Amino acid sequence: MPHPCHTCPGISFFHRFRSWVALGAATAMAAIAPTGAAVAQQGVLPAYQPVDMPEHVYDGGWEHFVGGGMAVFDCNQDGLPDIFAAGGERPAALLVNRSQVRGDIRFVGETPEALKLTGLIGAYPLDVDSDGFSDLAILRVGTNLILRGGPACSFAPYDGFADDYKNGWTTAFSATWEGAKTLPTLAFGNYVDRQNPEGPFGTCDTSFLYRPKGAAYDQPLPLGPGFCPLSMLFSDWSRTGRADLRLSNDRHYYLNDGQEQMWLMGEEPRLYQPEDGWTAFKLWGMGIASRDMTGDGMPDVYLTSMGDQRLQIRDTDKPGPAFRDAPYDMGTTAHRPYTGDDGRPSTGWHVEFGDAQNDGLDDIFVTKGNVQQMPGSAMNDPNNLLVQGPSGRFAEMGELAGIASMARGRGGAFVDFNLDGLLDIAVVNRRDMLEMFQNVTADAGNAVQIRLAQPGVNRDAIGAWIELRAGDTVQVRELTVGGGHAGGKLGLEHFGIGDVPDARFRVIWPDQTVSDWAEIRAGRIVLATRTGDDLILSDY
Amino acid sequence: MKKIILMSVAVSAAMATSAFAQGLTIGVSWSNFQEERWKTDEAAMVAAIEAAGNTYISADAQNSAAKQLTDVEALIAQGADALVILSVDKDAVGPAVDAADAEGIPVVGYDRLIEDERAFYLTFDNKGVGRIIAHAVMTAQPKGNYAIIKGDKGDPNALFLLEGMMEMIGGMVDKGEITIVGETFTDGWKPDNAQKNMEQILTANNNNVDAVLAENDGMAGGVIAALAAQGMNIPVGGQDGDHAALNRVARGTQTVSVWKDARQLGKAAAEIAAALAGGAMLSDIEGSVKWSGGANGVEMNAIFLDPTPITKDNINVVIDAGHIAKDKVCEGAMDGVVGC
Repeated sequence: MPHPCHTCPGISFFHRFRSWVALGAATAMAAIAPTGAAVAQQGVLPAYQPVDMPEHVYDGGWEHFVGGGMAVFDCNQDGLPDIFAAGGERPAALLVNRSQVRGDIRFVGETPEALKLTGLIGAYPLDVDSDGFSDLAILRVGTNLILRGGPACSFAPYDGFADDYKNGWTTAFSATWEGAKTLPTLAFGNYVDRQNPEGPFGTCDTSFLYRPKGAAYDQPLPLGPGFCPLSMLFSDWSRTGRADLRLSNDRHYYLNDGQEQMWLMGEEPRLYQPEDGWTAFKLWGMGIASRDMTGDGMPDVYLTSMGDQRLQIRDTDKPGPAFRDAPYDMGTTAHRPYTGDDGRPSTGWHVEFGDAQNDGLDDIFVTKGNVQQMPGSAMNDPNNLLVQGPSGRFAEMGELAGIASMARGRGGAFVDFNLDGLLDIAVVNRRDMLEMFQNVTADAGNAVQIRLAQPGVNRDAIGAWIELRAGDTVQVRELTVGGGHAGGKLGLEHFGIGDVPDARFRVIWPDQTVSDWAEIRAGRIVLATRTGDDLILSDY
Repeated sequence: MKKIILMSVAVSAAMATSAFAQGLTIGVSWSNFQEERWKTDEAAMVAAIEAAGNTYISADAQNSAAKQLTDVEALIAQGADALVILSVDKDAVGPAVDAADAEGIPVVGYDRLIEDERAFYLTFDNKGVGRIIAHAVMTAQPKGNYAIIKGDKGDPNALFLLEGMMEMIGGMVDKGEITIVGETFTDGWKPDNAQKNMEQILTANNNNVDAVLAENDGMAGGVIAALAAQGMNIPVGGQDGDHAALNRVARGTQTVSVWKDARQLGKAAAEIAAALAGGAMLSDIEGSVKWSGGANGVEMNAIFLDPTPITKDNINVVIDAGHIAKDKVCEGAMDGVVGC
């Protein structure tokens, strides 16, 4: 265990209480305002500076109270991640990255006609047809689309997929390659059934699963009952080589009869049940992030919501998909604003794990913002940067880091946009301008960045695991498409490694074969290409 | 083992407060003390607890369901003999009830339902609020054209209130005595949005509106502004006991404001908790009823306090309660207001 969580599962009532008494007060303070003591505990301070961006706003009526996702991927093959952002009732925008490598971040708005689409909730990048160009799965109010990417940010409709569900309202997406199929399995999550006259409460729509049949998609399989998902993620949570589909659902609309869900992706998908080890629980689920945070090699999940954000730790003592809430004093709940003097519960949307100061400890970035003007929820609701300290506890550093925007945050990205080894932050805001914050942390540690590629099908090796050893720590990372809020990223995987000068890593490919170990120097950015079961590294 | 450790903590806590050595300790877990309204509840609760010779201890969950669980554990460790819990999240509070139950400590679910047969449920009759608004307005205007100004579309309470209203006027609507000429949701429950909606309803009906049911006082204020702009004064009902609304009742522009007297709720919680801590069974609590109207149909012991309709005939109630000063509520009052 590289950074053991002393307060994680398996502890008795009394131990938990004792740790609360001894440390709860300090942690509670740290969660509200980074005091000197808390700052010292968390190590290097993250620092961000706002960057001028091309004007882009996410807006629209009721259907666009949710959504506002962004797809981050390289559409012009220059190595820099570009941004495709939903606009709701306004046109979507492609923001092309013209940053200098290791210099200032700069974007220009260059939206091709094919992307000037309205009604967008969000978009996810993935290479559906395995031609080496990233494509886009587009989630809309109305019919969904897959756009085939080509050279120089060109896009055209992909013929192999057709959606005629005009009444659909798609708010979640995930994809995975099942078995030896040449196309990915696609899951589209639908929110409220807008046509149901009894709605909107208690009238969640059915979601759809598209499995490939040969070189095209079959009729979709309904995934019901639907409980109004706002995020879904295919993840091999059990590390058995099969990605199951987790849905985070909005209890605001399913009211009492729903819960979070996970589909076991067998021949006939079925929902996990209590007898499998699944525990029913309810959230205003908005976003999912998955990563091993305890060092046991098994993914834990962070689920955004209203009030408490939920970090759930995999309970490996129990069989099946058993997860339990991280204890309060771990500092991950981010349940109300830490600044701005609004004590009402806050509303979380996009979430990603990542290491803001490259100290080798993953932090948590969450976008926040009121749905519209919900009186029971905070109006001044800043985004979170929860920084992990060596004890495994998290402290809120959003204000200190300079990302405490009060706009209604929705989609987001925690990505190195200028390839300087530091994770920057981008946020799509409802009724406000898209924001970019460049990471300018002084004294940050080292990082390495890796992009996987394999020949043939599934070029980006979705479903692979990277296992990275730096010093005496191990980080494991699953490559996924899905989660977050209405958007995701495709490209480099960033690993903070602290002070160590080099690291080594291996890859468990989607077909479960394991590569040899490869050395990587601190600061390097590599393309790791599969040859046979092995790796060839080249400069990215 | 756990029990022994906790008992020793409880004993030392009791010794430290020897003045109440014979008394009981009532632990209260608040959901979020930054919300102003709970201060009134707390004052009434503390007064009742101390008057009975018992001790009040409390914790503030700051709107975190996770913190509430650690708060309840801490209150138990501090020796609480009974717990009053205002839950942050009805679906996440279960482990707190489990922890209390394991120590044999009774729980009162305060204001918000904790749907668990081991907990007592104390709240106001919330569905009754809509009914009472409609009843008071219908008494003043038994038939004609009604407008209904509902709360936010995204808030299920807007629908519960409407259900209560329709229970009262539904029969008259069926008979054709009452016609609903406008029914709108109000974005964010905001008065200015309610005013705009009312303006549109008036325009669409050539001002032929005889009464308005608003789901809260703020929106009733917006409605009354729209009516005043047309020189109209018709029966309007709302809820919350807002100071401005109570003054409108005294002035005669609002018919009723349904008021929940938080002091009643706080006092009742203190008394119920003390009785349970003293060994009473949940079903022994005087005035309790069996109720199973929660989402899961769990049968519970509950008390539903009646909200109070405040009209020109009983403004004295809010003055006597200290909820609002007489000079404030009675400013510009019409003749014949009881209490002014």
